[in-house]
Amino acid sequence: MKQVSVKPVDKLSRSAVLWQLIACVAVVLPNVVWLPAWVLLLGAGCIAARVMIHTGRWSFPHWSLRLLLVVAAAAGLLVSFNRDASLNAMVALLTVGLALKLLEIYRRRDALVLLYVALFVAATVFLFEQSLLMAVYMCVAVLAVIAALVSVWQDPLREEMLRPLKLASRMLLPALPLMLVLFFLFPRIGPLWSVELDRSAARTGLSDSMAPGDISRLTRSDELAFRAVFEGEPPAPSLRYWRVLVLSAFDGRSWTVGSSSARGAEVLDVQGETLTYEIVQEPSRQRWLYALDVPLAAPPQAQLTMPRTLVSANEVSQRIQYSLTSAPAYQLATQLSQAERRAYTQLPSRGNPRSRELVSTWLNESQGDVVTLIDQILAYFHASFVYTLEPMALGEHSVDEFLFDTRQGFCEHFASATAFMLRAADIPARVVTGYQGGEWNTTQRYLTLRQYDAHAWVEVWIEGQGWQRLDPTAAVAPERIEMSADQLFSGQAGFLADSPLSARRLIRQGWLLQARMRYDALNFAWQRWVLNYHHQQQNLLQDWLGGITPWKMVLALLVPGALVLGWLAWRLLRWPQPQDPLQRHLQRLLQRVARQGFQRQPDETLNRFVARVAAHSPALAEILQPVAEAYEQLHYAPSTDAQARQRLLAAMRQAETRLKS
Amino acid sequence: MADTLAKQVQQACEQLDQVILGKAQQVRLAVTCLLSGGHLLIEDLPGMGKTTLAHALASVFGLADSRIQFTSDMLPADILGVSVFDAPSGAFVFHPGPVFTQLLLADEINRTTPKTQSALLEAMEEGQVTQDGETRQLPDPFFVIATQNPLTQFGTFPLPESQLDRFLMRINLGYPSPEAERTLLMRGDTLSRRQRLPAVLSPEKLREAQQACQQVHASSDLIHYVQRLVQYTREGDGFSYGVSPRGALALLRCARSWAWLHERQHVVPEDVQRVLEPVVGHRIRAAEDMAGHTSARLVSELLSRVDVMASG
Repeated sequence: MKQVSVKPVDKLSRSAVLWQLIACVAVVLPNVVWLPAWVLLLGAGCIAARVMIHTGRWSFPHWSLRLLLVVAAAAGLLVSFNRDASLNAMVALLTVGLALKLLEIYRRRDALVLLYVALFVAATVFLFEQSLLMAVYMCVAVLAVIAALVSVWQDPLREEMLRPLKLASRMLLPALPLMLVLFFLFPRIGPLWSVELDRSAARTGLSDSMAPGDISRLTRSDELAFRAVFEGEPPAPSLRYWRVLVLSAFDGRSWTVGSSSARGAEVLDVQGETLTYEIVQEPSRQRWLYALDVPLAAPPQAQLTMPRTLVSANEVSQRIQYSLTSAPAYQLATQLSQAERRAYTQLPSRGNPRSRELVSTWLNESQGDVVTLIDQILAYFHASFVYTLEPMALGEHSVDEFLFDTRQGFCEHFASATAFMLRAADIPARVVTGYQGGEWNTTQRYLTLRQYDAHAWVEVWIEGQGWQRLDPTAAVAPERIEMSADQLFSGQAGFLADSPLSARRLIRQGWLLQARMRYDALNFAWQRWVLNYHHQQQNLLQDWLGGITPWKMVLALLVPGALVLGWLAWRLLRWPQPQDPLQRHLQRLLQRVARQGFQRQPDETLNRFVARVAAHSPALAEILQPVAEAYEQLHYAPSTDAQARQRLLAAMRQAETRLKS
Repeated sequence: MADTLAKQVQQACEQLDQVILGKAQQVRLAVTCLLSGGHLLIEDLPGMGKTTLAHALASVFGLADSRIQFTSDMLPADILGVSVFDAPSGAFVFHPGPVFTQLLLADEINRTTPKTQSALLEAMEEGQVTQDGETRQLPDPFFVIATQNPLTQFGTFPLPESQLDRFLMRINLGYPSPEAERTLLMRGDTLSRRQRLPAVLSPEKLREAQQACQQVHASSDLIHYVQRLVQYTREGDGFSYGVSPRGALALLRCARSWAWLHERQHVVPEDVQRVLEPVVGHRIRAAEDMAGHTSARLVSELLSRVDVMASG
């Protein structure tokens, strides 16, 4: 292998190399959860190689080996990401680049390239996760990168690890005011271009159709769906039905939204008090919004559909916040047109014969009374059905198989079967999907709804009462409605199967639960007030400045910048510091000695100073003597080589430690 | 070899200490001046041992010496020599003056007129004498020790600044310490002792030592220090004029010799500080508003103002 010679000027200190490694690991760490395993292996290998190269045990790899690695890594990325130019693939590419660059850090410039890429990787982390903890962690990671930058520029002889960190902290501190000003005042401009997030890692959530098994699959995930903040008391658990979609078309197996008519929303007759609340919805990559049964009006940028669900004008691709008012007690659509009636009793002409037969038997028994029929259905479920997260697969006649053979299912099975049976009895019915329940956080007064809270129920239209909510799950497993899904399912095998290490799975009681709730509340506040700040920003700016004008912006950015720069300039002029790091070190040492009462006079050389100190404190003079000797050797002796500097540095460091003790 | 030579010079110094009691510092400065190949001005009251020092130096270094006692009626020819018409040969014959020697003691140089002073000082600077259109080389080494009484004494002609600059060093002997003086009084006459001083060195050895001195290493940091000192005399408050480049060269030269004398292979700032007052003292002048300052006080202020460890 070819040996690459390194100019001593460009040499990096040992602490600089260590800092680079720390910085690289720190910025890549958050992405470890999704990066392909081979990328992580490559990174670990490169770090090991870097250490071996720096300690001189290995030489730099030959260019052919590096080329081979680059080609192999590129091929690996193509295979791993299926030639999909997604955001994940881009970040993986950056990470691979970062790792491979570690193998060719010959001089200062290479180290700088490495660290600039590391800063870029650090920024990409926020594309995947924006929690408070992550923000705090990334502050630390960026501090590490800045420390690495500092260490790259420091004297190659310096080996202390903490010094670059201290210096980096001191450098970042003056940037803080500017950061705050930018945060408060810089306008949130929409992206000029955007890259699709990886489709394969698409969000879990409700879809616009419901087949058996769809919703029970959602319980495998504890991903956050939305949070609802209440001004007053939250509704009782049995009333926490979050309406998302109304499915009215059935094809014998799955329910879909069906054709929507252009008519306005169904007439709502509010009975009793209304509830006002605020929803903070996570990105779902769908257009529908969430509302407590049943919303009075749509928020801006959204509209009410006919069955009173909410649809946004745009896909929800980032966290949004909106305010709603709902009526827990209501009468909905007391009048139904013939066309609607036909639509809500529509069934495929054939299929599920046993169920149809059962319904006609019951209908004969109840002499056509709707309420009796419903009671019969619920009693039937209550008698012999099992509510389970992992129901058996169903075939072509899904309702028949569920009702007569398997007799076990999740909410979508019960909802689907109930709606089918009602329609078979010529009673208008429809399936509603959404979420039920939620975890109440007392500290911040909000409900957290996760994917495992997904639920499906039925609405049945009764003459004179309009659409009434009918939840067959409540008949089979009333605890599902009373308790949170989290508490109910915790023992079952399929629950949270996709997130085996979820905190929710492990922490269910005691102070740990309290701590988790508090952290969740903190994180939520962070999301509402920091991440979603642009909502408040407009109003705030309006109040403070009477609207944004370009010159006000410039002023707001320039004034703090000028203040910080002015302060820095004043400091530099006030305390001129010697450029030579050795001189600075020496100055510090002498300051320390001065605190013990010995101030060096300008005309005193170190030797004379030490001699004077010796007259009063021989012990102190003994500590300083090697420094004085090394100083004379370095500054006045004929051959001043790097070793002389090293010796002086070592002497000063030793004196410093002895002075401290 | 250099070591042994330095040792020999140190032995010579110790010999001198036997004669000039309690003035070790001044003795070594005088030797340093000699090693640097410059001329020495001793300024003090009469009877402090100036002449004794000059004679002792000449004996110890094995130099031929002569002495001129300056008076107010002396003429240049009394120093340089005179051409006299020799009737038998029908030509002018040059009779060399006392300046043609290796070590010249110019006693009480400020008692003579500036014209005569100039004649000597030109000889000192050029190392040669031009008389009647003929240039004659002075011996090598040629070393002048001039003594002068403080200027406040009656009947003196002060040396002009430009001529003071020709002396490498100016030292004061000062009164001896009580112990030294007691020893002196007990021993009695010094004249006989001085004559019995053996020659420790030869003029050849002296030349060798002079060359060795200029080989002593002066680092860039040290040269920066010298430069800062000189710079301060030019820019600092309280100086009416500063040290000339010749003065700066002299300072470095003497610091080298001082370091060599103390057996160091490189110059340290202490060397510069030691020779600073003798080398620079007569080359600076306090500004009018600081008329009360003597040059010693100016030099100590100079030392305390220029940080020896400042970088750059």
